[in-house]
Amino acid sequence: MAVNPPPAAAPGREDHPETAPLDQAPRPVRVRHFARLKLRMIGNGLRGQPWRIALFAIGALFGLWLAFGGFFLLAAPGLADNADLAVVVPAFAGAILVLAWLLLPLAFFGVDETLDPARFALLPVPRRTLVMGLLAAALVGVPAVATFGATAGLVLGAGARGGWPAAAAQAAGVLAGLLLCVAASRAVTSAFAGMLRSRRVRDLAAVGLALMAALLGPLQVAVIAAVERADYHEFVGPARVLGWTPLAAPYTLGIDVVEGHAWAVPVKLAITAVAIAGLLWWWSASLEWAMVGAASGADARSRGGVSGGPVAQLFPRTVQWLPRSQYGAVVAREVRYWWRDARRRANLIAISVVGVFVPAMVTLSSGVLAGQTQQRTPISVTLSILFVGVYGAVLLANQFGFDGTAYAAHLVAGVPGRTELRARMVAASVYLVPVLTVVAVVATVIVREPVWLPTLLGGIYAAYGTGLAVNQSVSILGAYAMPETSNPFAMNAGQGVGKSLLAFVAMLGTLVLASPYLVAAGLAGGTALWAWLALPVGLGYGLGAVALGLYIAGDTLDRRGPELLLAVTPRR
Amino acid sequence: MTDGSQAALALRGLVKRFDTKVAVAGVDLDVPAGSFFGLLGPNGAGKTTTLSMAVGLLRPDAGAAWVLGHDVWRDPVEAKRRLGVLPDGARLFDRLTGAELLAYTGLLRGMAPAVVDQRARELLDVLALADAGRTLVVDYSAGMKKKIGLACALLHGPRLLVLDEPFEAVDPVSAALIREILQRYVAGGGTVIFSSHVMAVVERLCSHVAILAEGTIKAVGTLDEVRGDRSLEDVFVEIVGGRTATGQELSWL
Repeated sequence: MAVNPPPAAAPGREDHPETAPLDQAPRPVRVRHFARLKLRMIGNGLRGQPWRIALFAIGALFGLWLAFGGFFLLAAPGLADNADLAVVVPAFAGAILVLAWLLLPLAFFGVDETLDPARFALLPVPRRTLVMGLLAAALVGVPAVATFGATAGLVLGAGARGGWPAAAAQAAGVLAGLLLCVAASRAVTSAFAGMLRSRRVRDLAAVGLALMAALLGPLQVAVIAAVERADYHEFVGPARVLGWTPLAAPYTLGIDVVEGHAWAVPVKLAITAVAIAGLLWWWSASLEWAMVGAASGADARSRGGVSGGPVAQLFPRTVQWLPRSQYGAVVAREVRYWWRDARRRANLIAISVVGVFVPAMVTLSSGVLAGQTQQRTPISVTLSILFVGVYGAVLLANQFGFDGTAYAAHLVAGVPGRTELRARMVAASVYLVPVLTVVAVVATVIVREPVWLPTLLGGIYAAYGTGLAVNQSVSILGAYAMPETSNPFAMNAGQGVGKSLLAFVAMLGTLVLASPYLVAAGLAGGTALWAWLALPVGLGYGLGAVALGLYIAGDTLDRRGPELLLAVTPRR
Repeated sequence: MTDGSQAALALRGLVKRFDTKVAVAGVDLDVPAGSFFGLLGPNGAGKTTTLSMAVGLLRPDAGAAWVLGHDVWRDPVEAKRRLGVLPDGARLFDRLTGAELLAYTGLLRGMAPAVVDQRARELLDVLALADAGRTLVVDYSAGMKKKIGLACALLHGPRLLVLDEPFEAVDPVSAALIREILQRYVAGGGTVIFSSHVMAVVERLCSHVAILAEGTIKAVGTLDEVRGDRSLEDVFVEIVGGRTATGQELSWL
């Protein structure tokens, strides 16, 4: 390419062959470039931000702890040469791990979207390279490394019983399993993002999420039962079946070699490979959607004619009773946003599913295990109900982050802090209080103890109210920016830890604040008097906590408005 | 420069640092009431930072800002009542329709619902947004977003309009409409300050200009005072210190 020799005055030209003319074949993009890009972005995100470094370190330590704990737990059956456990543990642990990768991002943590697929839309990168590259980038991170570390325990366990061949087979299985986990989580979140964005499918999404959560239920019951009875033998059969599903296939290779059917290894690897390929294909299909962006124009037109003036249009029918004031307007807008913003809607769906399933599972499993001999008290159900109430309030832990820079409009209009927070709590409660009430009713139906209803309702309202109070302050002091993408599960690198830590602090604070009520409920629980008092006392406790939290947080918001805006502004 | 007490917007010694970088290094500015004021500057000069501090969106490290005599940071309620703002880059509450967004903004400003309805309808008609119907603002085009943002800033009838890059990414038809509305607003006694780096728009509209570069005001005054007998662009490039290409680089183009 010496047609146009570079002028001597352009230094560095020789060192940078990538500035070559267009007609020269470009260097191909390789998978490792994506991994390096991810590392670089993690590094740049940490630069000069001590608190982010601290959060990252906490996350890394937690991951390390999980990796070591998991390693020894998974290696133990093999090392102890327990024939039953060596079958049961890899199969069930593997299945739980894959399901966790599948469900946790949907329900709680979101997915690291540091490398937003949309950014690659304009680059001439083949789809295949893009998917493989994004997969490689997803492998670069604390969760993937921790999973790898933990499952490596299986290799040691298999090696202890079956020697080198078993260890080698299991090592291949561990690698395949890691790929399966990551591919599953990316494919499902990506597909769900698309589904939730097109509003038509949102109900289907809720059902799908509920079904997947339901899968966790029987598994949990079985695990608890196994631990209770210390009779692992009856789980060997289910474990063998599980080993032939993609959920646990990669994790049961070692035991197959140990037991002498090495022929199963290639078959199970093939099952895993097909599952991974299928997931990647699914991901690739939904990636296209993510890159191009969903057209929502048709949806907007189909929503019927305009009725009433602009003010009447702003207020949804469910909250027509609101005053046409600053306060009423914020409530109305928030009510609309909890449904129209895919990110918030995903949270609402998650709380609804978790809210129904957690108490149901706790109740069923304790009922199954304890039989009818033990005296039944509302304690375990009440605790799970309290958890749901607290979890519901944690949805507001980053309520300003949802709005991002749009919060500037409130700042410019000078909305008083207390008006703002009160309106946001009322709007969230329009959705959450019915959900929590249903949760309490469902729980009483499951335990077939209708007299517990006032107790459970009182508990859930007290927990929710206390949670709201704590989360008002948390949402102002701990606000963080969310990426401005349409993927409701997206978050920035390193935010997983911050987000979880924030939720943890909020839950801990709630627990402390709610402890007087919990102590009272514990002391008086079961008495006839308490059965009548629980509901009014719980309701009063919750409302009192809300009033106190509003009083404190309102002042904080008035003082820190501009700082809050800065905190929720994404860095560009 | 006019006396500070008459100014619609007065800035004194505004300073803002981000980590180690000084974004705004002491800005003094008086925007006379009834003026059409252009704040010029290259990218990264600190225009957005300065305007954000002037309207109460970003807390300055030092200095103060007054809107029609009311301190923005000590007496925010009175100052913000007289102020309409179109921030650049800030999102609107974009999952509302245009009409809903205007109603929302009006109620946030404490206006009576009947007045909100009437003004919102008028603004939607004039800005040619009434056809959008039930389309959410997030699905609007860039020009439509600027227009609905401007409508939000105008709705409560402020005496001072602070607009950050109102003409960016706006098509010529919408730009002409925005210009006409702003000129009518100034003719009616309002004051406009807007930031831009498009010389033609500034020369055409403004009675006063200020040139901001590297966080300080380099030149300020009426349009004629600043440009003298040259074009505004020449003055701007000279003050900001642009470089001219030698023809040696980019030979591969």
